Amino acid sequence: MAKIIFQNETLTGTAEVGSASTKILSDRDILRKRSEKYLNLIRTMDTELLIETRGKKDMMTKIHEEFGSAQLADLPIGILAKCYLGHPHEVHTLDLSAGQIIKHYIIGELLPEHFEKARTLAKHNAYFFVEVYKDKLILIREDGTAAKL
Amino acid sequence: MSQRVISYADLSRINSALSSLKTDMREVNIELGGLNTKHDHLKSDLLQLSLSFADFVESDIKHKALQLAETRQGNLKQDLQIKFGYYAEVRRMATGILQGVHTGIIGDDTLRHTTEEVMIKAPNYWLAPALVVLSSWIRDDKNTTEKALAESLKRDDYKTTLFLMLVMRRLGRNDACFQWMNRYFLHQNPHNLDREFVIILEAITTGVFQPASHQLMINNVKSWITQLTQTDSYIDKQKVQWTHFFETKGSLSSKKYPLLEEFAPNWDNLKTSVIQARSHHALDLHFKNIFETTTDYSKATKIQLDEILSLLVTNFDDDELPLQNEVRLNQLIIQKDGDKKAAQSLMNEEKHIFDEKVDFLQMLTNAAFNPELTGATKVTQALAVSISQPWIVEAHDSFTAKYRNEIEENVDLIIDGFKTSTPDGSDETEQLQKHNRYWTDFLENELKKLTFPFVLIFFGIIISAASLIIFKFGIMGIIGALIGGLIIWNTISNHKKAKKKTIETIMERKNKSKEVLRGCIAETVDYRQEFAQEDAKAEILRQTLMSITPEDFSSTSRDTRTILQPS
Repeated sequence: MAKIIFQNETLTGTAEVGSASTKILSDRDILRKRSEKYLNLIRTMDTELLIETRGKKDMMTKIHEEFGSAQLADLPIGILAKCYLGHPHEVHTLDLSAGQIIKHYIIGELLPEHFEKARTLAKHNAYFFVEVYKDKLILIREDGTAAKL
Repeated sequence: MSQRVISYADLSRINSALSSLKTDMREVNIELGGLNTKHDHLKSDLLQLSLSFADFVESDIKHKALQLAETRQGNLKQDLQIKFGYYAEVRRMATGILQGVHTGIIGDDTLRHTTEEVMIKAPNYWLAPALVVLSSWIRDDKNTTEKALAESLKRDDYKTTLFLMLVMRRLGRNDACFQWMNRYFLHQNPHNLDREFVIILEAITTGVFQPASHQLMINNVKSWITQLTQTDSYIDKQKVQWTHFFETKGSLSSKKYPLLEEFAPNWDNLKTSVIQARSHHALDLHFKNIFETTTDYSKATKIQLDEILSLLVTNFDDDELPLQNEVRLNQLIIQKDGDKKAAQSLMNEEKHIFDEKVDFLQMLTNAAFNPELTGATKVTQALAVSISQPWIVEAHDSFTAKYRNEIEENVDLIIDGFKTSTPDGSDETEQLQKHNRYWTDFLENELKKLTFPFVLIFFGIIISAASLIIFKFGIMGIIGALIGGLIIWNTISNHKKAKKKTIETIMERKNKSKEVLRGCIAETVDYRQEFAQEDAKAEILRQTLMSITPEDFSSTSRDTRTILQPS
């Protein structure tokens, strides 16, 4: 019993009560552990599905699934992650609002608005990728845990 | 008309009169000087007098205040005696009864008689029926117990509950104690906890109360956290404090990177980053230390519990408080020799300490930062940390992300005018080449500034040519030509010397600068290495923090629990 109490799930549960009534995305909600499915989706983003237009639709549905009840305004603008295409590629963006879904950037190439502020952290080995919001960054680790900046 | 011609006039008398006047004047002057001095003396005396008068007035005021305070204190005490004198009696009796019950040397009749008498003597005081409860409970008089209990709870529910909970623990009545504890928890408002709550928490954690109370506490804590985490505001407040705590933990010995300190304009930022990265190791030790405690604190906790009990029994009741406060203020005025202001500020401080009420999360944070100050021990600190664990991790994540985000991409360097920047010092060859180019260009520019002295050489040529033409190769002509030649030779050699000197100075500067650059690059490599190493410790600390579960503290208390049995 004691073990269960202090885990994230309990906290999320309570936060959902709050957010449901206020419609504001609480920290409890935004910092909850990301699902394995979602992580896998981002992991394979580099290699699969992107060539086809069908891929984008598919991906958007899956992302909406992950964020569940969140309002459209509360969704991240996009995702910034390290690029494994090799030198000189540095990072790639997954733009959830724009037409072109994935774009690779090389060292020194300027990123679109809001993304630039996440660049240093996206390159850091401790983080798997960064969810970019208008007013904040959410850093996701390999295990799916989230941190807010 | 007669006209008198003065052929001779004797002015000696006038002269002497004048000189005597002069002497007189001098005397007056001296006198005046004396007067001035006297005036000055008088002035300073007056000043002294006025100062001592002010002192006198002040001390008189203080003295009067002191006298007044003494009289008032006496009057107030009398007042207190008249109005609440029996309260003091009840308190004395309560202590006696508790001790008597404990040792078991008082007969039931005596107990019954005295407690019932107290009941009559002290209307409205909760402790009176509480004592009746105690005595009738001991002699198994269920009817009276219930009636007295109802009355006591009516008078002061909270204090009765706390009193009976503590007494039952002392008497080893676990079931009854558990019931009271349940009621005690119902009294607590997680937004506004009393100071003594941390001690109760501590007692439960260390196992002074029976095991079942542990579960009760956990259940309550769980529902409180649910309440307090419905909005972010409470947690955010704690996170800010934790982040601040993390920020202050790192340090950097001075002069570890002396060259960067001197030559890197962005050193302040670089320093901040590495200092923050260096905090993780210290924090890791800090948290591990909290959980690696083996001391048995239960004895100290038991004493504290008894202290609460005796405070409860001996402390003033709410009714008496206004009067008691006035007595205290007058006491302080006496203590401060009539200084009202000092007494009032002391009083405010005291009040602040006693009035302090905090929400549950803040109480946890206080206990986690500084257990001694809140009256808790390491065991409670461990408990507080493990309950706070989710937001400690969140705060640490944000703290780490913040400085990682703010790390300078490059180390900027300005060495003797040579400006450069290097990301991590791995580009030493390129940097040295760049450095070389800079100094070659610099040297070229400096040499350009040394214009060739055409005028002087031309002048020399003219002289030689002119003298040869004028004197037609005579001796004078040859001498003139030689002078011209000398001028030319001198000018050229001076120019060469200046050039050589410039080259020498610049080469020396270049070599020095090169050494500094190499040193800076080496320090940059060390800096990035140290930063990476220390930064990686963030993940170790994170693991330590993630491994903290409430399981940790219950295991500590389980050990202690077996050691102690209710006294």
